[in-house]
Amino acid sequence: MTGKTAPARRTPARRRAATRRPRFAIAVTVLFFALLYLPVGVVVLFSFNARKSLTVFDGASLRWYRAFFRDDLLLDSLGMSLQVSFVAMAGSLLLGVALALGLVRNRGRLGSLAGLVMLVPLITPEIVTGVAAMLLFKGTGIPLSTTTVMLAEITFSISYVTVILRSRIAALNPETEEAAMDLGATRRQALRLVTLPALLPSILASAVLIFALVFDDFVLAYFTTGVDPQPLSVRIYSAIRFGVQPTINAVGTLMLAGSIALIALALAIPRLFGRRGGLDLLSGE
Amino acid sequence: MPAHPAVRLDHVGKQYDRTGAFAVRDLELDITPGEFFSLLGPSGCGKTTLLRMIGGFVDPTEGSVLLDGEDVTGLPPNKRNVNTVFQSYALFDHLSLADNVAFGLKRKGVARAEIRERVGAMLDLVQLGHLADRKPATLSGGQRQRVALARALVNRPQVLLLDEPLAALDLALRRRMQVELKQIQREIGITFVFVTHDQDEALTMSDRVAVMNQGRIEQCGTPEDVYERPTSTFTASFMGTSNLVPGTYRAGAVHLDEGPALPVGPRAGLADGTRVNLSIRPEKIWLSDFEPDMAQTTGTVRETVYSGPTTTYLIDLAPGITVSVLEQNTVRSRREDRWSGGEQVDLAWKPEHCLVLD
Repeated sequence: MTGKTAPARRTPARRRAATRRPRFAIAVTVLFFALLYLPVGVVVLFSFNARKSLTVFDGASLRWYRAFFRDDLLLDSLGMSLQVSFVAMAGSLLLGVALALGLVRNRGRLGSLAGLVMLVPLITPEIVTGVAAMLLFKGTGIPLSTTTVMLAEITFSISYVTVILRSRIAALNPETEEAAMDLGATRRQALRLVTLPALLPSILASAVLIFALVFDDFVLAYFTTGVDPQPLSVRIYSAIRFGVQPTINAVGTLMLAGSIALIALALAIPRLFGRRGGLDLLSGE
Repeated sequence: MPAHPAVRLDHVGKQYDRTGAFAVRDLELDITPGEFFSLLGPSGCGKTTLLRMIGGFVDPTEGSVLLDGEDVTGLPPNKRNVNTVFQSYALFDHLSLADNVAFGLKRKGVARAEIRERVGAMLDLVQLGHLADRKPATLSGGQRQRVALARALVNRPQVLLLDEPLAALDLALRRRMQVELKQIQREIGITFVFVTHDQDEALTMSDRVAVMNQGRIEQCGTPEDVYERPTSTFTASFMGTSNLVPGTYRAGAVHLDEGPALPVGPRAGLADGTRVNLSIRPEKIWLSDFEPDMAQTTGTVRETVYSGPTTTYLIDLAPGITVSVLEQNTVRSRREDRWSGGEQVDLAWKPEHCLVLD
């Protein structure tokens, strides 16, 4: 067969084959998303169930939401979780941004060592961090309470902030800060008036990320919390041990909605600042 | 005549701790108030380090920096009455143009009404008044460059430092900005210290040029001085194209190792038998219409490069010795008049146009 005639004869069939939908790939994708989201979907659906059953859906109602808002124990836990998330966010931002600035600017041996040590919490199994934190508090005689949860969560979150901010700071033009000093700013003014505003999108993005991570953190919270109040994740876990109440479905659905809102916010931040393209939460770029 | 130079560098040097290498070495320089002074040299010659010493971003390891007679060595940048236009412009992206320009005045605590007035006038001077509310990201390269200039000039510094401010612009824009910069400098009369590696730029704009090499000043003078009368082989080769022909000086001529002697006229203070480089600019060699006082030799045309208004001939004088000769195309205006290669030609030059460099 010569090369000249072959393409002409094959073209119509080939073209159809090439544009045919890749069925297998679509099937795998659908299966993937089904396995990922079906359980979540069930929780959302049954949070609106009119009956107490967790297997039979029998008409929509807001009964379990009402039950949740009457449950003082759960509401206290929600309040505590919000409080812990907020404090952990603020604390880890303050320390994490400062650490990232220090790491980028100190390129000496000490700086690179600190940069490596900073990454350790990210790879340490959380249960180890949790047990270690608990032992530390017990050993030093600090009673477990809301404060200990906050301290543990701040420690745990610093690394995330630092990882995100470090790459962002390294990408800044060092001449910008010099320009500020050249124009009469002190070192501190240059940081406040030029560097921090340039980092604001990344700072806000990490704030949202930390808030979400801490809010639904279970392991660390479980090991470091006192008895009353307990963080929401720990409270839900204890509740489930005595049989699943549909109220938990309502709580889960509300948490899900909150998380989605936060993620949407995080994605919208770079656009609010007029940057093109999305923001990669992990690299901060 | 003011009592003090605008900038005096008194035996300054910068040695790096780690390698012990000098970026700048035992350098002395006075810059006169109101002059456009260029620091010219290849990358790594220390010109930017020198500029950063004046700005306060690099502390000299020896010597001192004086601004208008006052020793400012060791003072941070915000305590010096100089401003810098950075190579990257370093604009504040989160601020509008007006706020960028107002930054320095706000730090000084200038009254708000005066800030508005001075910022407006300065933006008008750089022809960006109509864009005052825009953010830097929306500007073109040339506009960003002008904002950086306005942001520095609005503070009325004693000295304006410019670190290759035109390097990022394309050729046509660079030419236009060269003229604009020079005009602005003349209008406001501030001393400009301009760092560049582009010798055309330095020649076009400067009142004086310092040619730098390996942390030292090779030669300092007017553009004409350093171009026409280079005192070292480095300056001659760095300032534009120059033919550098190695040989031995003897009795008013440079004798090539293999080939003819090239008459250069008697040179006082140069002993016979000294190894030298004969330096002559391509446009100073003639190929026709010789005058009686000219020195002559012959060569073989190797190649002809036509480039619009001029033609460059590469001519072999001896094995391994090629000189380039630049001729206006008014001399041989038609293509068939020009040589194409292989022809024997006569070359001539005026002895005073050759330089004999050690």
